[in-house]
Amino acid sequence: MGYPNTSIDVLGPASDDVGWLNAGAEIVVHGHAGNGLANAMAQGKIFVAGNIGARGMTMTKSNPRFAPPEIWVLGSVGDYFGEFMAGGIATVCGIEPQTPDNVLGYRPLVGMVGGQVFFRGPHKGYSTADAKQSPITDEQWEWLCKNLNLFLERIGRKELFKSLSKRKEWQLLVARSPHERERGSKRSMESFHRVVWEKELGHGGLIGDITAIDRSPIPLITTGELRRFVPVWENRVYKAPCEAACPTGIPIQQRWAMIREGRIDEAVDLALEYTPFPATVCGYLCPNLCMQECTRNIFGMTPIDITLLGRASINAKLPQMPPKSGKKAAVIGGGPAGISVAWQLLKSGHEAVVYDVSPVLGGKIAALIPETRIPKEVLSAELKRIQKIIPHVHLDKKLAQDDMERLKTEYDMLVVATGAWKPRTIPVPGKERMIPAIKFLSLAKSGEIVPGNSVVIIGAGNVGCDVATEAHRLGAEKITLIDVQKPASFGKERKDAEAVGAIFRWPCITREITEQGVVLDSGELLPADTVVISIGDAPETGFLPDTVEVERGFVKVNGIFQTSDPAIFAIGDIVKPGLLTDAIGAGRKAAAAISDLLSGKPHEPDTREVIDKYRISPEYFDPRITGFDDMEYCGTQCSSCGNCRDCGICVAVCPQAAISREEKENGTFAYVVNEELCIGCGFCAGACPCGIWALAPNKELS
Amino acid sequence: MQTIGTITPSTLSRKDLPWLVLWDKDRCTLCGRCTSVCPVRTLELGVFRKRTVKPDINNPHTSSSSFDVYYGIRQKTDPLNACVGCGMCSMVCPNDAIIPARNDEHDKLVFHINQGGVPRRRGGRRNSWDSLLNRIKFVRISMLTDPALDAGRHEFELKTLLGRVLSPEDSLKHLKENGWIPPVREIYPLIIGGMSFGALSPNMWEGLQMGVAYLNEEMNMPVRICTGEGGCPPRLLRSRFLQYVILQIASGYFGWDEIIHAIPEMKVDPCAIEIKYGQGAKPGDGGLLMWYKVNKLIAAIRGVPTGVSLPSPPTHQTKYSIEEAVAKMIQSMYMAWGFRVPVYPKISGTSTALAVLNNLTRNPYAAALAIDGEDGGTGAAYNVSMNSMGHPIASNIRDCYTNLVKLGKQNEIPLIAGGGIGKTGDLAANAAALIMLGASGVQTGKYVMQAAAGCLGSESDRCNICNIGLCPKGITSQDPRLYRRLDPEKVAQRVVDMFLSFDTELKKIFAPLGRSTSLPIGMSDALGINDAAAAERLNIKYVV
Repeated sequence: MGYPNTSIDVLGPASDDVGWLNAGAEIVVHGHAGNGLANAMAQGKIFVAGNIGARGMTMTKSNPRFAPPEIWVLGSVGDYFGEFMAGGIATVCGIEPQTPDNVLGYRPLVGMVGGQVFFRGPHKGYSTADAKQSPITDEQWEWLCKNLNLFLERIGRKELFKSLSKRKEWQLLVARSPHERERGSKRSMESFHRVVWEKELGHGGLIGDITAIDRSPIPLITTGELRRFVPVWENRVYKAPCEAACPTGIPIQQRWAMIREGRIDEAVDLALEYTPFPATVCGYLCPNLCMQECTRNIFGMTPIDITLLGRASINAKLPQMPPKSGKKAAVIGGGPAGISVAWQLLKSGHEAVVYDVSPVLGGKIAALIPETRIPKEVLSAELKRIQKIIPHVHLDKKLAQDDMERLKTEYDMLVVATGAWKPRTIPVPGKERMIPAIKFLSLAKSGEIVPGNSVVIIGAGNVGCDVATEAHRLGAEKITLIDVQKPASFGKERKDAEAVGAIFRWPCITREITEQGVVLDSGELLPADTVVISIGDAPETGFLPDTVEVERGFVKVNGIFQTSDPAIFAIGDIVKPGLLTDAIGAGRKAAAAISDLLSGKPHEPDTREVIDKYRISPEYFDPRITGFDDMEYCGTQCSSCGNCRDCGICVAVCPQAAISREEKENGTFAYVVNEELCIGCGFCAGACPCGIWALAPNKELS
Repeated sequence: MQTIGTITPSTLSRKDLPWLVLWDKDRCTLCGRCTSVCPVRTLELGVFRKRTVKPDINNPHTSSSSFDVYYGIRQKTDPLNACVGCGMCSMVCPNDAIIPARNDEHDKLVFHINQGGVPRRRGGRRNSWDSLLNRIKFVRISMLTDPALDAGRHEFELKTLLGRVLSPEDSLKHLKENGWIPPVREIYPLIIGGMSFGALSPNMWEGLQMGVAYLNEEMNMPVRICTGEGGCPPRLLRSRFLQYVILQIASGYFGWDEIIHAIPEMKVDPCAIEIKYGQGAKPGDGGLLMWYKVNKLIAAIRGVPTGVSLPSPPTHQTKYSIEEAVAKMIQSMYMAWGFRVPVYPKISGTSTALAVLNNLTRNPYAAALAIDGEDGGTGAAYNVSMNSMGHPIASNIRDCYTNLVKLGKQNEIPLIAGGGIGKTGDLAANAAALIMLGASGVQTGKYVMQAAAGCLGSESDRCNICNIGLCPKGITSQDPRLYRRLDPEKVAQRVVDMFLSFDTELKKIFAPLGRSTSLPIGMSDALGINDAAAAERLNIKYVV
């Protein structure tokens, strides 16, 4: 703790801690000095005529108000010299050093942050993280020479000046600045990678020899082949739910698209491509499965009303018939299934003749369905349109097996569509008093039956309902439908029956039919003037060749309605009871298969899947619409599932302006993606009202 | 997301999910970056209807209703696309408009993640913040009683020994009788634990290896890294960098043909051979590389078809006992490298660890015993294995060490501890605690993933999709579109940073204890814990 203006001379060697916390004293040691010399010294000077021990010049400071501290060592310094040195000047002359090969000792200058160390002689390294070598400037050399003189004078060794004043022998160490420390003297990893790593391993590093794949860094958001996902414009790749639900397979969403585009006639005419009964069935008789499946339903919205388009189809124009192929098919049965298959075969250029025992085509539609459900003029208009193109052979008797064998030789293909006309009945006493429903409906239609006041209908399905409404039309007042289980009737037929006051009762088991009416198992009598049995009809199959396999009363067919006899197809109720649209659809599908068979083409049925309804965005449409007055309005509200509306919302919503509309030569269009702009965000898929855009994984990079 | 139609038992709402995506309509610019980057495609553009009703009470029948449509970011709620909380959306959002947040409701997804009867599998960690190691304090500070050391100034000898150190008399006997004494390596006590080429992406693997090479060659730190069980790229096997590598052989035996082919061409010996018998994260289960990650490159290195899941058996199938395993595997491995390379087994933490150790102490070929505790990480495992199987490392390592002390062999067979070291960031303190409980060194993997590559996983079940190859940082993905997000040079630099800072912190712990000349292995008198039961169990000081 030396004060300024103090002088201390040690006339010989000194012990440890000389100049500890020195704040200005000048100390001369005329010999060696021990450990800890000048520890934490901030001002003053220490001159040592020999060597010093460990930890000299440690923790030294420099205060700008005073001159920096100095130590002068004639020989060498001990280990850990200059630790945490923060200021001051140390001079190590290297004369007769204790350690001749290392005048700075072991690990000098660790933690040095300031000051200067002049030294002369060999050394074995210093903390390069903290200190660095610096060239001695002229000014510094001048200072060193001047003060070296003073030092040598103080210790009485002036004779050494000449040998010590060789500038080339001196080196200077200074502290690194904080900035230099941060940067460090370490090799950069980039350099290590390039110079050391790849030199040893080869170009491409660790796996450069086994893969050529580019592994250079890329950003988080990428375009082109580096996108994880790519948008795909899947127009008409999937069926709309309405189209998929329609057994006839009418692409309803495409018809609404035509309406939106103002192509109303085309939308109407398109129906005839799929069904000969667009008005009768779609407009009146069909339960409209398309509407039941309409995507809007799952969002609680009113489905688009197809009946408007169906009814308008009464005016549909017949398509142009293609040139004849020369192939012939006979269709046995002129009901909806038979008419459908003949219609489609004719449209494909084949000859098709319908054989039927009835003088008019139409089967049950024409013979049984009450006029309350289908206006006479609608049906007759459509039947007329059919008669124009379908040749009809009016049989005077039902065909037998040998007739069928003969037809097989005359035609390239037979299609059996004779339906189900054999009423099912129940084996109870008095069963002969019951009138089968089909007989009742037929007689009712021609006005040849008076059912009386009370009517009991056994079997409360939709046909039973038709019986009820017809019975009411013909004067019956008390109409009861009974069933052994909860009635399966639904829709318009059921509503109409209820509207005329028909009573539905179940479970009711019939014990017998008497003159008074129907006696139930319970003993109760349901009085009836007329009892109708309406529990379905079975097909007649006896006329079929033995080559046609029959199972449980129905003809067995494969997926394309071909029977076990490859030259005979079967469709409609003879295969499986169903809706009119089922029969019409079966006719269309069978015709497609037959046409391919006849033309020798491989048959490729439509295997498109139905679109996932969750891809559709119903939010664009008003949820408060409860009904539709006209077809144009239907068109605007249809989501056009899977069928591009060409609205251009995707173009607008794409944040990268990567989507554009491309017009094609044939008048069609497509939306295309510029890969170099697209980042695969999927906004197009999210925003698309129709569910056209999908986001697919990009193909694997290899 | 609105639920339409009927619901199923597994129909979830946002309220049921572990993570909610908070989206700010006012800030969102609809740039598409969040939906592009979302690894699990939980985000999509949503179309929203906004209805406006304009009532007019004074003019009958003039009230009206209209609606507008706007777009926004919607969070999917189906289990397959449930948000994993990685937060990449937040990272790419230019307007800070989106961020995932933990739901305040208890996770209901956990009850429905097993669709199709397949229990949840994931990568990552136990998802438990609890860490006994964090609670251990270093209570013996040299205060004038003996020279305190300065971490920054003093030199420290922090290296440890990997290899069997026989007693002098045994050594002499071995040399005389067999012409051989076991090889011993002097290495840095923090080892990068086995993470396979396959579990990690090529860029991650290369970054780690490069960082380790840099530490050795530029920083003079003998850091070692274990390969994991996916083999080793042929170039590395034939380079001088192999000396920094511990080759692992595990029950899947992937890539060992390449290693065998390379033996005659090796410039240097590998550091050691680790025989993996178990893994702390999923004890009793073998490795699992799911099909998502087995592409052409990985398949080639492993010698398997592409696109197949690679579950390794839980055991080495032809080795039925520890005796047999030691006899066959350890000696075979020694022989392959001319008895120049230490060979040691790694087991998962287990209450039967002492039985293994006792066997090894009787076998001069056993170079060490590595024990991996329950807090270890993994790229893929069954949730139940990760959450509920395993043994904590502290008492396991302690029991083994004190047993060695009883036998007088504590300086002969090194114990290497793994599993949960630095799980909450306290790498040096956890490592020091284990060393002072008796470990000669520690292994860590997860910490490296987080520090060196920015792994997003945390103990709160964040991300954890390492198993399906969708790692948003490119650490555990084999898809170049993901792993090219990771620059090997940057990873290497972070490895270096991590080890340098660890080194300083370790010194900061050891210096006040007055230890600088050797690792304070087993210096348990310096340890304390504020839990009497734990203190008693570990035989360290109870401090409050």
